[in-house]
Amino acid sequence: MERITFWYGCNVLRHGDIIHSCLDILRSLGFDATPAGGPDYCCGTVKDGNQTTAGGMASRTVGRFNAMKRERVVAWCPSCHSHMHDFMEHANDRHFGMTYFVQLLYECRERLRAFLTHPVPMRIVMHQHVGFQDLVPVNRMVPELLAMIPGVDVADCGYVAPGYMCASFAALPKALHDIHANTAASVKSAGADAVVTIFHQCYRELCGLDAADVTPVYNYVHLIARSMGLAYEDEYKAWKRAGANAADLIGPQRLERIGIEFYERAILPELKKRPKLTSSS
Amino acid sequence: MTTDPSRRVTPDNTSAARRELIGARLKEFQKSEVERILSACTRCGQCFEVCPMAKYSAAPASDGKSVVPGVLAVLRGERSTPEALGWIAVCTRSGSCVPACPENVDPKMMMRLARMTALGGREHPAQIEMKDDPDYFNRIRAFAQLQLSDEELKEWT
Repeated sequence: MERITFWYGCNVLRHGDIIHSCLDILRSLGFDATPAGGPDYCCGTVKDGNQTTAGGMASRTVGRFNAMKRERVVAWCPSCHSHMHDFMEHANDRHFGMTYFVQLLYECRERLRAFLTHPVPMRIVMHQHVGFQDLVPVNRMVPELLAMIPGVDVADCGYVAPGYMCASFAALPKALHDIHANTAASVKSAGADAVVTIFHQCYRELCGLDAADVTPVYNYVHLIARSMGLAYEDEYKAWKRAGANAADLIGPQRLERIGIEFYERAILPELKKRPKLTSSS
Repeated sequence: MTTDPSRRVTPDNTSAARRELIGARLKEFQKSEVERILSACTRCGQCFEVCPMAKYSAAPASDGKSVVPGVLAVLRGERSTPEALGWIAVCTRSGSCVPACPENVDPKMMMRLARMTALGGREHPAQIEMKDDPDYFNRIRAFAQLQLSDEELKEWT
């Protein structure tokens, strides 16, 4: 049994269901997978404006992975994976192989197929970006994986968004609006039931389209998990859809863990945020 | 479940001396990439012409030939033009520029290094601003606390 580290990254911690599903998928495929992520395993890519800090974060993370003595690190996050490739590995002595999660699923697709037993009747369009394809051709691989699910019909979609993932557009509202509008239009023109993202950073942004009832939105792992019979609740989407009332779903005990003041200042605005589109857009 | 000993912070994997050494190597790598780009780029501007993000710049340039010298100026640590800084600010790593470059410069790397430099990250004065989010990592930690069990928080993060 191959021993791997599942490096899920930072921001996917919004989506505990995705992390839990990925671990179940990896273990079903026969990997001895240990998860690692969060700010203590940051790749440093968010610190472009301070390369001393970025270098420190990268060396700490690579050092920890080296100490874990596992054969390879399987990255979930495209930012972590590309930062490792572009910068981290040029400065650090890396003692493990690197694979992107989609690559691993694609490598094991025949084994994966055997677990995809529950039909997921859904016509989908993929939400794709131009970037990252030089590292891993996810725009080709993910639709092939999803087409293995009984009932999934992957429709042709003419739209490919710029950049490599939606979170980079947070400071570029006009560009993000265009992505939202074009995504909504592509779902409509394909007669699709839903749009499916590859990266969690896109899922987080496009969840606003779901919450605004423009179109249902999923991440590709949601569909694989559903077909495997895994049943983790997508709480982020539920909270996003609840918006101002999300606290009712989260409950007082969990809110107390993070503090009401912090929730209202730093979490609630994200849950209430909606794209400026309507279902008729 | 017991804590995996390899996850303990030890002098072996996180010592200050080691971080300093790796930080120096990272700076050396970035410096060598900057030198490679500065000597290889012919300023033809093809990278700009194919960029799907250029239209979102706050100071759109008329053509690639006029904007690329400003990007190279940033890499040299010199003051740049509004057009070049505007383009650098909207780069979201589409990578369309990479196959368009006739000299295999890797303009995606050029723009990434220019962004780091323009933000003040490479020991030159900042020329573009990035809005800092003081809650960025705490927000991630909070979502983890909302969705992971205590045991998972201890073992996985």
